[in-house]
Amino acid sequence: MEPQPGPIPAKMNPREEKVKIITEEFIENDEDADMGRQNKNSKVRRQPRKKQPPTAVPKEMVSEKSHLGNPQEPVQEEPKTRLLSMTVRRGPRSLPPIPSTSRTGFAEFSMRGRMREKLQAARSKAESALLQEIPTPRPRRLRSPSKKELETEFGTEPGKEVERTQQEIDSQSYSRVKFRDSARKIKPKPQVPPGFPSAEEAYNFFTFNFDPEPEGSEEKPKARHRAGTNQEEEEEEEEEPPAQGGGKEMDEEELLNGDDAEDFLLGLDHVADDFVAVRPADYESIHDRLQMEREMLFIPSRQTVPTYKKLPENVQPRFLEDEGLYTGVRPEVARTNQNIMENRLLMQDPERRWFGDDGRILALPNPIKPFPSRPPVLTQEQSIKAELETLYKKAVKYVHSSQHVIRSGDPPGNFQLDIDISGLIFTHHPCFSREHVLAAKLAQLYDQYLARHQRNKAKFLTDKLQALRNAVQTGLDPEKPHQSLDTIQKTINEYKSEIRQTRKFRDAEQEKDRTLLKTIIKVWKEMKSLREFQRFTNTPLKLVLRKEKADQKADEEAYEAEIQAEISELLEEHKEEYAQKMEEYRTSLQQWKAWRKAQRAKKKKRKQAAEEHPGDEIAEPYPEEDLVKPSPPEPTDRAVIEQEVRERAAQSRRRPWEPTLVPELSLAGSVTPNDQCPRAEVSRREDVKKRSVYLKVLFNNKEVSRTVSRPLGADFRVHFGQIFNLQIVNWPESLTLQVYETIGHSSPTLLAEVFLPIPETTVVTGRAPTEEVEFSSNQHVTLDHEGVGSGVPFSFEADGSNQLTLMTSGKVSHSVAWAIGENGIPLIPPLSQQNIGFRSALKKADAISSIGTSGLTDMKKLAKWAAESKLDPNDPNNAPLMQLISVATSGESYVPDFFRLEQLQQEFNFVSDQELNRSKRFRLLHLRSQEVPEFRNYKQVPVYDREIMEKVFQDYEKRLRDRNVIETKEHIDTHRAIVAKYLQQVRESVINRFLIAKQYFLLADMIVEEEVPNISILGLSLFKLAEQKRPLRPRRKGRKKVTAQNLSDGDIKLLVNIVRAYDIPVRKPAVSKFQQPSRSSRMFSEKHAASPSTYSPIHNADYPLSQVLVRPFVEVSFQRTVCHTTTAEGPNPSWNEELELPFRAPNGDYSTASLQSVKDVVFINIFDEVLHDVLEDDRERGSGIHTRIERHWLGCVKIPFSTIYFQARIDGTFKIDIPPVLLGYSKERNMILEWGFDSVRSLSEGSYITLFITIEPQLVPGESIREKMSNMLKKFESQEDEKLLQATEKFQAECALKFPNRQCLTTVIDISGKTVFITRYLKPLNPPQELLNVYPNNLQATAELVARYVSLIPFLPDTVSFGGICDLWSTSDQFLDLLAGDEEEHAVLLCNYFLSLGKKAWLLMGNAIPEGPTAYVLTWEQGRYLIWNPCSGHFYGQFDTFCPLKNVGCLIGPDNIWFNIQRYDSPLRINFDVTRPKLWKSFFSRSLPYPGLCSVQPEELIYQRSDKAAAAELQDRIEKILKEKIMDWRPRHLTRWNRYCTSTLRHFLPLLEKSQGEDVEDDHRAELLKQLGDYRFSGFPLHMPYSEVKPLIDAVYSTGVHNIDVPNVEFALAVYIHPYPKNVLSVWIYVASLIRNR
Amino acid sequence: MATASPSVFLLMVNGQVESAQFPEYDDLYCKYCFVYGQDWAPTAGLEEGISQITSKSQDVRQALVWNFPIDVTFKSTNPYGWPQIVLSVYGPDVFGNDVVRGYGAVHVPFSPGRHKRTIPMFVPESTSKLQKFTSWFMGRRPEYTDPKVVAQGEGREAQPG
Repeated sequence: MEPQPGPIPAKMNPREEKVKIITEEFIENDEDADMGRQNKNSKVRRQPRKKQPPTAVPKEMVSEKSHLGNPQEPVQEEPKTRLLSMTVRRGPRSLPPIPSTSRTGFAEFSMRGRMREKLQAARSKAESALLQEIPTPRPRRLRSPSKKELETEFGTEPGKEVERTQQEIDSQSYSRVKFRDSARKIKPKPQVPPGFPSAEEAYNFFTFNFDPEPEGSEEKPKARHRAGTNQEEEEEEEEEPPAQGGGKEMDEEELLNGDDAEDFLLGLDHVADDFVAVRPADYESIHDRLQMEREMLFIPSRQTVPTYKKLPENVQPRFLEDEGLYTGVRPEVARTNQNIMENRLLMQDPERRWFGDDGRILALPNPIKPFPSRPPVLTQEQSIKAELETLYKKAVKYVHSSQHVIRSGDPPGNFQLDIDISGLIFTHHPCFSREHVLAAKLAQLYDQYLARHQRNKAKFLTDKLQALRNAVQTGLDPEKPHQSLDTIQKTINEYKSEIRQTRKFRDAEQEKDRTLLKTIIKVWKEMKSLREFQRFTNTPLKLVLRKEKADQKADEEAYEAEIQAEISELLEEHKEEYAQKMEEYRTSLQQWKAWRKAQRAKKKKRKQAAEEHPGDEIAEPYPEEDLVKPSPPEPTDRAVIEQEVRERAAQSRRRPWEPTLVPELSLAGSVTPNDQCPRAEVSRREDVKKRSVYLKVLFNNKEVSRTVSRPLGADFRVHFGQIFNLQIVNWPESLTLQVYETIGHSSPTLLAEVFLPIPETTVVTGRAPTEEVEFSSNQHVTLDHEGVGSGVPFSFEADGSNQLTLMTSGKVSHSVAWAIGENGIPLIPPLSQQNIGFRSALKKADAISSIGTSGLTDMKKLAKWAAESKLDPNDPNNAPLMQLISVATSGESYVPDFFRLEQLQQEFNFVSDQELNRSKRFRLLHLRSQEVPEFRNYKQVPVYDREIMEKVFQDYEKRLRDRNVIETKEHIDTHRAIVAKYLQQVRESVINRFLIAKQYFLLADMIVEEEVPNISILGLSLFKLAEQKRPLRPRRKGRKKVTAQNLSDGDIKLLVNIVRAYDIPVRKPAVSKFQQPSRSSRMFSEKHAASPSTYSPIHNADYPLSQVLVRPFVEVSFQRTVCHTTTAEGPNPSWNEELELPFRAPNGDYSTASLQSVKDVVFINIFDEVLHDVLEDDRERGSGIHTRIERHWLGCVKIPFSTIYFQARIDGTFKIDIPPVLLGYSKERNMILEWGFDSVRSLSEGSYITLFITIEPQLVPGESIREKMSNMLKKFESQEDEKLLQATEKFQAECALKFPNRQCLTTVIDISGKTVFITRYLKPLNPPQELLNVYPNNLQATAELVARYVSLIPFLPDTVSFGGICDLWSTSDQFLDLLAGDEEEHAVLLCNYFLSLGKKAWLLMGNAIPEGPTAYVLTWEQGRYLIWNPCSGHFYGQFDTFCPLKNVGCLIGPDNIWFNIQRYDSPLRINFDVTRPKLWKSFFSRSLPYPGLCSVQPEELIYQRSDKAAAAELQDRIEKILKEKIMDWRPRHLTRWNRYCTSTLRHFLPLLEKSQGEDVEDDHRAELLKQLGDYRFSGFPLHMPYSEVKPLIDAVYSTGVHNIDVPNVEFALAVYIHPYPKNVLSVWIYVASLIRNR
Repeated sequence: MATASPSVFLLMVNGQVESAQFPEYDDLYCKYCFVYGQDWAPTAGLEEGISQITSKSQDVRQALVWNFPIDVTFKSTNPYGWPQIVLSVYGPDVFGNDVVRGYGAVHVPFSPGRHKRTIPMFVPESTSKLQKFTSWFMGRRPEYTDPKVVAQGEGREAQPG
């Protein structure tokens, strides 16, 4: 058996263990520690078992086991443990026994002995019990290869003995041990000594066989040579308990374990017996099964499938390989397997899709690479170092460049360019003296001469000429018979022409040579003379003319021969020429003769004609051109030719008697030393010495290095001799040298730039010739010494003629070459870098569009080449190329010649555009992001399309469809429908325009910052610091304002505090014809005689019984929430109740913009609660109360939410909107004289209610919008004068500084968004003539009528229609066309009418309740000011307490603006006399006179007469609709219409219109009584301007007429529409309920 | 939504505002809130909170430790508008006025698991030197109208003039 490394941890001190365990428990949560803990735990769990001291009693051990992690610590345990641990430590190791063994040996032996005893005792006990668990001997399986040596190595080891015993016991308690062993195996061995074969351990781990039995016998032979006697014995008597004590303890422990296990197992067995029913296994005979399988299963045969089966009918197999196409290597598959597969496929898929053309299964090429791509696995023997040799690589800097970057496909590396700069010569320099100039010239000429001499073209041409002549000579030789004469002639002619050419060239060359020589000599002579003149020499140049004496005779002969040859040739030429000319002459002579003849004939004719018609001569049609008689060419004269030739020869050629002159330039001359030179020259030389030159080397326009600075030599040569090695990665673009010159210590100046050519790739270091590159500079230098300067004209002549201007120039001698690397490879960037970068790019991105146009031309070439070279298109190696070709050949159109930004867009589109558009979710998101009103605040766009209902889009689509369709159903009146559409469009366009403005944030929108404090504020705050604290002084604490963003539904409440009301209409007795109401319908309250008798004497007269006048209560409805107060009594009730109504923002969006656009209105309705006694029988009166509560609508107050929102709170007394006729109630009789109110009320009639409304918590209204807008609007164009606009700004700023709360308006925005000065809106405009005709003599009545007319135009606040964005002012004609507008438009129109009526009228800007900032009209009439509310048509005196206008900001007239600078702004307390500058600050004053602004209003308003028929039709339709609605609202009751009453009412309504609801009630009542005397009647007419049907319906609904559920109730409803000009309609609705009295 | 139970995904955020480094200031507290898109809705937990006041630790780190827990769950249908946590730190100035010491925002991590984020904090500056002085003197430093603006992009574009 394998020796157990288990006991190793036993050396751990138990104390330590404990600590460990505890700490482990602490770190339990730690994930990392988890693994370790498991290991350790398992370790720990095992430890107690193994290293239990022999003295420990079994009981103890059990207890230990029970709490594993907490081993007890007997005192005596300590040494033993150590002993044991000592042995164990050495135990399983392959180390040789160390001396300590002998020392511990004794103790161990004694221990072992004890163990054996115990074991023996326990064995007998346990044997019987465990018998059934002993497994049958198992066949031996794997054996550890290193088992043998292990065993031999520590055969005698005591620790080994322990192991053995354990193993023996293992055989008995097999299962237990198995677990334990395996667990032990898992345990890591931290104490493994070095050198222990770990691989073997691993092997053991995997291959360990837990067969204990055959172990011994097998081991014996292996162990024999090392094993001591002990082991021998042990192996022999396997069944016997071992004698040694070491195993005893373990034995016992195992036994105990065994017991435990047994108990457990027994128990389990027991249980299993109870529940598991035993049944014999089902058996199926093999025959049956085979039969069944044969039916079920298909086993494909292994036979080869004939090819014809695999191919379609009548198709021959086709082998692509044979056709020369690449097919790739198929993967190796066994033939049988392939057959099976083919058979199966044929069976399964009869369509033969799986077979290719060659009749084989389709297969991809073998993907297996022939060589492994993974690094070889290290074997143990090999040292790691050998395999993992580190290789040093220098860090390579990545150079990023858009061009010529080395692509990944190219070999990387550094390249080197060697630049050798040997020196610099100036051909001209400012410091050149005149001599230098000449010297340079001479040197240049000499160079030229040398160059010419080297080439010696003249000689070459002479030789050529000679050769040609020879050729001609031989060609003419008649001894060449085989050549046809023609060809000979031809070649000779060619030769001759060539000779001619060559001769010309030669002559030119010779002449040049001669002139050059002459010039050299001339310059040299000049130089010599100069040197003589100036008496010093500057340059060492010296020209020596060497004379070469030639053989004069031979020379002369040659000269003469040459001339002769030339003459003869020339003669020949001339002859040819002569012949040619003669020919020409002849032909021309012929022509001339013919012409002459014709001429003569003509003349004759003309003469005749002239005789006949003498006048014709003038009309000679063609002018005579006289052909000159051609002269015959002169034959050439030989003498002349000779003369010519000789002259020329003399000129260009050295004469035979002249010696050949060879110039030699040397630097052998001596330069005059300084002390012999004149001052100027010395200073020049000094100057030269001061100068130094260096070069900068620029690579790709970047300086890479520079040469050392070298002084300029006296000969103007600079030697550098430096080589620069440029390490480069890119193909060079440019290589530049910059020549810098330094004079003294001044900064260097750039003389010139020299561009070096980039060398060919063949030019490598060592082979590159030194080249000279010229440079020149355009600098202008004038020097005060001998130096001639640069760019400055100078002359050699004394008189200054023949001026010469020389520029600084020179030559740099250099060589540029590619370096050669270590291994002889030139370090040149690959050529591919230079121009063909596109191939690799193509390899990387196969998107065609990624190929730019740059590689287009090359690509075509490549494609051509590829087509020519007939590549195999199927070979994967050619794939990139083939793709390229397909690109190139598929036509030019495919390669785009445009640049695409998102070239891969197509690739990344995961879905097609159409599909994307079809997606409802996408559409929803898209619409929302576009801020389409329907979806602006759509929350939680569903994840799936299927969760989006189609109806979400319905409204939107409907709106889109209806945009241009005018729907008349909603509006009834077509005109209004059109207007509504128009308004909608204006609204949309305005909203779109201001959408940008919404995102335009000012600093103040983002950041709260204290303003710059001025002195007063600072002083005040400082003063405040010093102020005494007055804790008892009450201070008002402002409510905390809440920013709208943080709100949600239910956070905001609307608080309506209803304080009291005045002058509520009181009831009148339902006076019937019979004057006595029936008992049952008596007022309930009549019985309460004890009710307070506060009624007036009038009432006493009217009512025989004392009764409450009225029992009013207030109902507030807002957003479909209804609250009402308790019922109070009397016409002046005091409720003092606070009603709380929740507020919900549309779509749950509490942003400022959203809140501003809330259109909801707070309705405050006042009802009278009427109690009716419903008792039928008087006898029951004593025992029960049966009453019915009825509510009668008395009037209402409407306050839009937007007003509350902007005002933050509304506090005041409002006039209750009471219908002009309130049947059953009396309004005017309720004046109670005792109360003393009449003095106030005498002027203003009506009922009033005192309210306080606010929002809790206080919201921050979006006030900043106005400021923002004004900023924004400055960007809109304005036609106003710039100065005026500045003045308005100034005016407004001044006003705001003084009275920040007072409204000051100077400019407004018209409907097209332009800024317009406000006074332009005011101009007298004619009211409809129709109205003027009503009261022709009563101005006051007319004014009232006009006001009424204006008030009939529907009101539509801008804040609602434009979402709080801005306030647009439309002109009066636009207003009348739109038939909708807010206060400003009404006020402007009314003011204009008043102006036209001749009143003094102003537009009054101020604050009113409930509107807030608004516009009123102020008029001056008969010594008092009247304030007109344009929207209601009411007017108030200046001192009217109930005037809704609360403060006055400014007055606007047609030609000026006056700002209120009085202390108070309440109309009651101010003076309206605008002429007083102390009270009113006027805009136009003496300093800024009124410029006479023209009005934006039209000249005249044109009114169409309203269509009466249309109005009548509308009237009928509205009546019908309302009746239907009332019936709808009473779903559970029968609604009966009293036609008689209706017709009565219908007749009455026009009267009401005529009298504007005044003074008709009595007549009306009387008439009603007359006709409907036996009905109890309650009803009222409603009057409103007409805009849409919906407000009418709402108004009717809010009265609650339909709520009466008395069974026999009848209804009456009449509608009357009175048309005013311009389609302004006044609508009257009379609703009444009737209950028949019995 | 029309369907009975529209599909949503949940984002659960657990964590804490651990500590801060404000070398100059002491005795700070912080507020947090979340900014999220239209398709997001909190379902559980606290959307905003205000922490205790902490003092600097006495060791070298000088850390301001809050360990202020965050636990909120969002539901959403659209990753657009992924929640951002907005932190604002306040503390007393020389005169004892509470002034803002820093604003900062960071997206809630997009991947599950434990993340640690360090948010750079900043405060708006006064528009002028004088205002800087007066704001310091009066203890009314410039503040954002709403701390959430630091997580919003609206109006951040360059403005003309």
